[in-house]
Amino acid sequence: MTAPSLPAPPLRRGIAYWLTGYRGMLRFDLASAREWLVPFVIVQILMGAGMALIYGFYLGDMPIQVATFVATGAPTLAVIPLGMALAPSLIAGRKVEGTYDFMWSLPVPRLTAALSSYTLFTVLAAPGFAAALGIAAWRYDLDLHVSAWVVPAVLLSSLMAASVGFAVGHAVAQPALVNVITNLVIFVVLMFSPIAFPIENFPGWLAAAHRVLPFWHMANVVRASLTTGLVEAVWQSYVVLGAWTAGAWFLAAWAVGRRR
Amino acid sequence: MMVRWEMTSLRMVLAITVIVQIVSGAGFVLALGLFFGQVPPRAALFVSTGVLVVTLITIGLVLGPQLVALQKAEKTYDFLWSLPVPRTTAALAWVTTNLVLGVPGMAVALGVALVRYDLDLHLSAAIVPAVLLTLFTGTMVGYALAHALGNPMLIVAITQMLIFVIIGFSPINFPAEQLPGWLAALHRWLPLAPMADTVRAGLTQGVVADVARSYLVLGAWAVASVGVSAAVLGRRE
Repeated sequence: MTAPSLPAPPLRRGIAYWLTGYRGMLRFDLASAREWLVPFVIVQILMGAGMALIYGFYLGDMPIQVATFVATGAPTLAVIPLGMALAPSLIAGRKVEGTYDFMWSLPVPRLTAALSSYTLFTVLAAPGFAAALGIAAWRYDLDLHVSAWVVPAVLLSSLMAASVGFAVGHAVAQPALVNVITNLVIFVVLMFSPIAFPIENFPGWLAAAHRVLPFWHMANVVRASLTTGLVEAVWQSYVVLGAWTAGAWFLAAWAVGRRR
Repeated sequence: MMVRWEMTSLRMVLAITVIVQIVSGAGFVLALGLFFGQVPPRAALFVSTGVLVVTLITIGLVLGPQLVALQKAEKTYDFLWSLPVPRTTAALAWVTTNLVLGVPGMAVALGVALVRYDLDLHLSAAIVPAVLLTLFTGTMVGYALAHALGNPMLIVAITQMLIFVIIGFSPINFPAEQLPGWLAALHRWLPLAPMADTVRAGLTQGVVADVARSYLVLGAWAVASVGVSAAVLGRRE
């Protein structure tokens, strides 16, 4: 019988180590998700399906084109608050609780922590997306043409939102300021964004701003995958969303790498 | 005394609250133009008058309970009740504070609406009791809610739902006919629709029918919420 030997100290580099870190972080994030999963789902349903219904109440009787527009905006409205409001406030919450530094002390590459967050938020957006669309389509009795493009549209939209939220959460040091920013985003998205109504209704300067901001483009790629003939030149929107995602990653890399 | 206390403890959030009130009130009025493209006069009239009600009641019904929840979480709640003043004055001080905070937002929202849309308003003296009763009831319902519920998280969750209900699922900013029948029927007995009706009746002519009933329903809610608050506050210790 040989004496049990101590396990060799693990290598702290290489793909296997990296993948282990990623799996570990994903498990960690999933486990901490138990706390906020329920409010998360409620927020998605309220913001997506709820807003689709609310716009309907405001507008009264809607012609079918308007209803289609409102309903195909609903899933976008469900995705935005997850990444852009909930993600940064979770990070801000950790800063307030003092668990933020603990997260970075975990023995995993920081990149895996970021990727784990992106994965989780992207995947979790899907059910809310489907529910919002289903409820809106049922309420307005719509006949939608769902194409395979819906998959990249949802993935890119939610990845973009999660990336921007993650970057804001890490780059802005003050938790209170993060809260102000997220509330502002929600306000702008709900009231002043061409998601559920056409950009032609907007005054010129605001429409111009929305060609640079990501919200209108999210609505565009999603709407293009659900309808035919409502959206033109959707590839431009994919490009803009891709640019926002890349920009957010750079900002996050700077913010995360900067710390100590 | 208690008014000064409330104002002082609010000074951190005071400025922000007033700004948020003004921005959201005015923002709503303007955002409507984006929903519709061309805004029908009736819709403009409903939103412009409804927004006043929203700005009047959000502080009492949403912010107020959240502040109480915060006090409970921070454990300053019991300290407040140990202050040597009658508990009624604390409640009335809160109502007064709300009046001071709510009226500027309301005035700005109305002003923006008048500039942006060509409104057919008929201001009457009935606006004064309507605003006062709406504010009082909204504040007291929020007060009763905040003090009757023990769990701060629950209070925050409920008030956040309330924002959605106020803005989206109650006939404040749009006519009740645009809601599904069952929801419209339910709102005949909830305080939100009567608040909107009484205020709107003070600002317009021929839009609101049967204001007397609205005053009665609203009055009943005011009395009930004062009763609940009194019972809960009397009970402690």
